Amino acid sequence: MELLYKMPGRDSEILEKSLDGGKNEKIMYCLPFNMLGGKFVKGFTVFTDKKIYKILDGVILNIYDIKGSSDFKTEVMYGSGGFYAKINGKTTLICQFVVGRNLPRYAVMVKACEILAEKPDDEDSPEPLENKTPEKFCPVCSRPFLYGSEICPFCMKKLDVYKKLWAMTKGLRLAMFFPFIVAGIAILVQFLMPVLQRHITDVWLAPRAETNETLNKLFQDQTSTGFWGFNPLIGFGWLVLFLVLIDLIQRALGVSEARLLAIASGKFLMMLRTLLYEKIQTLSLSSIQRRSTGDLMTRVSHDTGIMQHFIIREFPNIFRQIISLPLAVIILFAMNWVIALFVIIPIPFAIFIITRFWGFIHGKNKRMWMARTRMQYLLQDILNGIRVVKSFGQEDKEIAKFNSFSLEFSNQSERISRIWSTVWPLITTFINGSVYFIIWYAGSRVIRNQITLGEYNQYFAYTNIVYGPLVALANIPNSISNFLTSASKVFEILEETPEILDIDLPLDIKIEGDISINKATFGYQSYNPVLESVNLEIKAGEMLGVVGHSGSGKTTLINLLMRLYDVNEGEILIDSVNIKDISQEALRSQIGIVLQETHLFSGTVRENIRYSKPFASDEEVIEAARIANAHDFIVNLPEGYNTLVGEKGYSMSGGERQRVAIARAVIHNPRILILDEATASLDTETEKLIQDALNKLSANRTTIAIAHRLSTLRNADKLLVLDKGKVAEYGTHSELLDLKGIYYKLVMAQREMAHQIVGEDGEAG
Amino acid sequence: MAEEITQEQESENLFGNERKSIALTPENSKFTRSKGGLISLELTNNNDDNGESEKEFFERIVIFRCFPITNPDEFLSVREPDSKKMGRGKEIGMVRYMKDFPEDQRKLFLEELDRRYFSPEITKINSVKEKFGYTYWEVVTNAGSMTFILSNPFSNIRSLEDGRVFIHDIDGNSFQIKEPSKLDSNSFKKIEIYV
Repeated sequence: MELLYKMPGRDSEILEKSLDGGKNEKIMYCLPFNMLGGKFVKGFTVFTDKKIYKILDGVILNIYDIKGSSDFKTEVMYGSGGFYAKINGKTTLICQFVVGRNLPRYAVMVKACEILAEKPDDEDSPEPLENKTPEKFCPVCSRPFLYGSEICPFCMKKLDVYKKLWAMTKGLRLAMFFPFIVAGIAILVQFLMPVLQRHITDVWLAPRAETNETLNKLFQDQTSTGFWGFNPLIGFGWLVLFLVLIDLIQRALGVSEARLLAIASGKFLMMLRTLLYEKIQTLSLSSIQRRSTGDLMTRVSHDTGIMQHFIIREFPNIFRQIISLPLAVIILFAMNWVIALFVIIPIPFAIFIITRFWGFIHGKNKRMWMARTRMQYLLQDILNGIRVVKSFGQEDKEIAKFNSFSLEFSNQSERISRIWSTVWPLITTFINGSVYFIIWYAGSRVIRNQITLGEYNQYFAYTNIVYGPLVALANIPNSISNFLTSASKVFEILEETPEILDIDLPLDIKIEGDISINKATFGYQSYNPVLESVNLEIKAGEMLGVVGHSGSGKTTLINLLMRLYDVNEGEILIDSVNIKDISQEALRSQIGIVLQETHLFSGTVRENIRYSKPFASDEEVIEAARIANAHDFIVNLPEGYNTLVGEKGYSMSGGERQRVAIARAVIHNPRILILDEATASLDTETEKLIQDALNKLSANRTTIAIAHRLSTLRNADKLLVLDKGKVAEYGTHSELLDLKGIYYKLVMAQREMAHQIVGEDGEAG
Repeated sequence: MAEEITQEQESENLFGNERKSIALTPENSKFTRSKGGLISLELTNNNDDNGESEKEFFERIVIFRCFPITNPDEFLSVREPDSKKMGRGKEIGMVRYMKDFPEDQRKLFLEELDRRYFSPEITKINSVKEKFGYTYWEVVTNAGSMTFILSNPFSNIRSLEDGRVFIHDIDGNSFQIKEPSKLDSNSFKKIEIYV
């Protein structure tokens, strides 16, 4: 992330002048600020090791001393962000900036200024902080990179995309090359046909005196000696046969092209999807979560489809058109330059009109598309909340709302159809305008016997070659740009380096279960830490209970331990080995986790239990289910362990799912077990069953349990209270009670609640 | 570890002596310009038990609109700044009507609110280009010319029933158009398909 921007000349000149002797004061950072007094501006905030300068258009607006200032902070406001500090005890808004681009930068400044403010005068100024957060905007044109990537679609080298594509087509090149051969032949035939037609018209059919004479002569010759030894009708027959032959060859080529293409495109698409899916599976959780599921799904299914369509279908087509159009024009020029001129003059106009019309229709289409999306959103929203609608008796209102949306959609689509059906024919008529001229011009020449009827036909044939693809041609830039976007989106994933990587020679250790965390600091955005210098120590086989408010960093702690994310500072050791040195596979295969909400994949109960150990025997499955207290209810299912669960199958209750998940963890037999609020969403009866199962599971394993209900943590050897990302209390149950701190209060509060419930029950009974 | 947490913080953390939000009226509160150019509050707390009153001074307060779009001048939530929560601290109290306060204080409110709510009004749309999944806008606003980028016009352009249009770009900027139909026809054509 850039923290030292370059200022324009006059701004840096004015700064130079005001710097303290130039040498004693070091420029550390220079960031842009974007708003001042309700206007957009292009100013700079310069941080030296002593002062903050606010510079705008060659004028220094303010100078603040860093020494003696405190409480540096950023605030996100509506439509802007602010950088605040207490200057000599007075809170001051130092500058306002665009949030998206500059908040992370100013967040670094908060820390940087704290360091500078605390530095003793006699000490040398520290090195500027660096921030490795990747830029989200193109440094060249400042437009955003494609979502979640570092590709600027405006600055990317298009050649690169083509090169990468070329490399991917290995093994398919023959199949992909074939369409070009076919296209070449097709072009040849396309241009040969008018010549043949002309020959047929002029030599064989035209009702002219000399033609008739030639034919008559031929007939006479045939009857006597014979020109080819045939009747001239037979000669004509040969000609027609030749036409048939050309046609057949062309069709045969076409058929084999289509077949080859089908095979090649299928293979290409499959290869692309497989590559992409494999890559997504290996990417770290953070980069997957940064994108929505929908986004990834479109990339795998939609974008690859667009690529395939373009490479296999559109590209050969474009090739064909790009060759045949100029060729036809050249031939026309060679035949008759007047006609050629009249053919090409309308082309620029036609392309202009067509593009404009496409743009116009595109806008209308977009409106229709938006109306439809709105309608669908509403439909989905209301159908999902149908219980609320009904229970508040709002059916009529919702019907009216839907009707208005539906009406808008139907109006829009009606308008488009109307425009399309009137305007399009008009445009085609205009384009064909020059055709009428040619009829007149060439026709009058035929009448005056200056050209033959065959030539007349030939002009039209070539004119059609020119005009035929014009409509499609206008759309080529659009389809190329669509293709490039899709391709770069696909490549972006294919080329992303996972954030969490194994070291070169990762260790495949057998984990005993000692965990120690030293000064671990982590934030999902590096400037906003969720955990701050957390220390803790767990011995193999011990159980640690983690308590804290939601948002205090409990789940984050577990994410770090599983190495779904890497710590920003500090280290996490398992059996005295840094987890970054352990291979991810070895690490995760020895950690088991039971989450609050369990996802069961579509499949049978047995498959779900065996998920981490696909070849576990049936005995093992039953044993695991028994430990998880799940065996009894599974046997009662209609098809026992073979019952289908998941989306299409039997829907289990939360408690049942949870026990299947525990069985899954049991069969996994991990050295380290993590229970992330495993019993939070269950009723007391079920909780008892599950707690019992969990106790069996956690015996002799290092266990980390997060819980709201403190009763679930009574077996814990140590307890950790997290508060706002920091360790607030750490010790055994009785130590923490003696401390009379947060834990003590929580215990008391829950006890009181329990008493109340018991009390009320008693009264009722 | 535990020693680092003081008793006071702790009580805030858990069941805490939460400040009770009160109605701020010209009688009990006086807003002044802070020395740092921001806004300060002098609050008089009346103790109901003994009829005594005590004064409290906040060097800097922040003001949030409860209904920034539909009712910007009423229901103002006055809070302490809190850097941990991106500036949103505890509520000191609520100003029901801004107009209850004398003009100089209203001016201070508006200054602070204008700093906090920056949503320039678009007066002209020079161009809208759609490319690579983003739309790129070049506009003239009452805060100067600006270019901005939307990721998805459908969800980032919000039209209200009264005709106003709010636009939120990928950078967290906000723009508004009071009456799209009153823009010049070229500008209107560009926004028309989204509203």
